[in-house]
Amino acid sequence: MLEVTDLRKTYGERPVLDGVQLTVGAGQIMGLLGANGAGKTTLISIIAGLRGADSGSVRVAGLDALRQPRRAARHIGLAPQELGLYPMLTVAQNLAFFARLAGLRGGGRRRRVAEIAAALDLADQLGRCAGELSGGQQRRLHTAMAVLHRTDVLFLDEPTVGADVRSRAGILDVVRAMAAEGTAIVYTTHNLMELEQLGADIAVLHAGRIAVEGHLDDVVNRYATASVGLRFDGAVPALPGWHADGSRLTPDLPVTDPAAAAARALAALDPNQAACLTGVDVTHPSLETAYLAITGQPRTSENHHALVA
Amino acid sequence: MLSSRSLAISGTGIRLLLADPAPVLVNLVMPLLLAGFLMPATKAQLRLAGLPEATGAEQVVPGMAVLFAFLSTMLVCTLFFREHAWGTWQRLRASQASSLDIVIGKVIPLYLVQLLQMAVLFGAGSLLFGYHPTGSLVALAVVVATFVATLVAFGVALVASFSTMDQVLVVGNLGGMVMAGLGGALAPAATLPGWAQAAAHATPAYWGLEAIRDITVDGAGLADVAPALLALVGFTLAFAAVVAWRFRPADAKVGTT
Ligand SMILES: Nc1ncnc2c1ncn2[C@@H]1O[C@H](COP(=O)(O)OP(=O)(O)OP(=O)(O)O)[C@@H](O)[C@H]1O
Ligand SMILES: [Mg+2]
Repeated sequence: MLEVTDLRKTYGERPVLDGVQLTVGAGQIMGLLGANGAGKTTLISIIAGLRGADSGSVRVAGLDALRQPRRAARHIGLAPQELGLYPMLTVAQNLAFFARLAGLRGGGRRRRVAEIAAALDLADQLGRCAGELSGGQQRRLHTAMAVLHRTDVLFLDEPTVGADVRSRAGILDVVRAMAAEGTAIVYTTHNLMELEQLGADIAVLHAGRIAVEGHLDDVVNRYATASVGLRFDGAVPALPGWHADGSRLTPDLPVTDPAAAAARALAALDPNQAACLTGVDVTHPSLETAYLAITGQPRTSENHHALVA
Repeated sequence: MLSSRSLAISGTGIRLLLADPAPVLVNLVMPLLLAGFLMPATKAQLRLAGLPEATGAEQVVPGMAVLFAFLSTMLVCTLFFREHAWGTWQRLRASQASSLDIVIGKVIPLYLVQLLQMAVLFGAGSLLFGYHPTGSLVALAVVVATFVATLVAFGVALVASFSTMDQVLVVGNLGGMVMAGLGGALAPAATLPGWAQAAAHATPAYWGLEAIRDITVDGAGLADVAPALLALVGFTLAFAAVVAWRFRPADAKVGTT
């Protein structure tokens, strides 16, 4: 459905996309990951015909999207990262306008607007001016405007920014429903849990290329790391197969099951040593650790899953 | 040419104008106020210049209509720049509307507003100031409709040529004032110095006002103003050519709300 080959883009001297390859099939949800400034929005904008590429090819529904952007646009839906709505028009007017641009007519249009408004928890807001909505409500409206019509390829560039727990779930439901109807979806987010909830495929954009592409489970299995550490107040005890790292005790070898390793270590401690224990850090293999391993960033303390002793 | 998408964009454009009517209203009230103040002096001036029956309205009503039509052109520009500020420009571009759909869709409501402004000014001019053209009203309508098209094309050409609304305001307001002044909106072109009269031919205001003057005081009909109409069409095409040449939908513009 979407096929990107060797796409390159330079802003001034700086290459942002340096030979991107990406394929997304019908019904597939592709989580596009990458650091701030990695080029996700640039990639999406090029495919959607909003910016030009230096070289490479993009095929959307069999069409050359770089040569025939207008024809390809019929097959593409986009919720850009930057909010885009008419603040002085009502929610209903914003939705109806973009539905008309997408070619929806009459009763079908009204039904679809009502359906999407309900799915994204906007049904009560239809008569309010978009400019009066809260930030999260505006983001939902902005996303709703992109999913009104059934397209072959849908790009959602950080659709859940600022959305609360319930509306986030609503957005994910709409994404799943559209994928089930056969839409190929490219979804960017910095919240990796959403991709786990979607059971998405993953593409990591790093240093101008798709560094890793595959199903979430495969990516996690292949790249994710687990870790475990025991924290002590005062002297760190000696334990065979473990070493001190500051005030922490960590295993010498990588672990696959960090919770079991922690349990074994705890059992091996004598009561005096255990008395100085202040905490146990367990990091399970996850998309997050896989992502960090792929992009080569050091781990931050937030990813630790701390079990207080 | 008029796709359903252009119509949808026009419909939304009219809604946006109605949601914020102040600029339109100001450009309706201001020229009427100014006309009231200018009438007596202009009457004296016209009578001295050999029109013993003149009331002043012959000059003031079309003059103010043309001057404020230029100022209203900024409205054309604002509506484009606001789309950038709202982030809706890139949504329009990513939609199934083509660039032509978008430009046509945005231009139609602005053309209608400008036309309405002209109709109100001439109508109020006739009611309040006794503006009564001696020539053909049809010719007057055709000249006004063509002149408004020229100005809308001028506005879009400005949008195509500059990347911030401030630049457009400076160039548009100054340029509009100079063109309207040279063309005879503030005082009859014939009273201006020779070089100004020569330069006036290069402004659409001159051709519009000349044609209106002929219709107003010389009883002219459509055939008589054909040369002026042709000149206006020429200006419109020239501005449209600038649009075709300079307009890049992908250009980043600094939006203002
Ligand atoms: N119009 C532009 N002109 C010049 N440089 C740009 C432009 N747009 C983006 N860039 C640069 O290109 C790089 C990629 O930007 P892009 O917005 O594609 O990143 P991103 O992956 O979407 O980041 P984020 O997660 O923050 O949204 C950044 O370094 C950015 O500064
Ligand atoms: Mg981005």
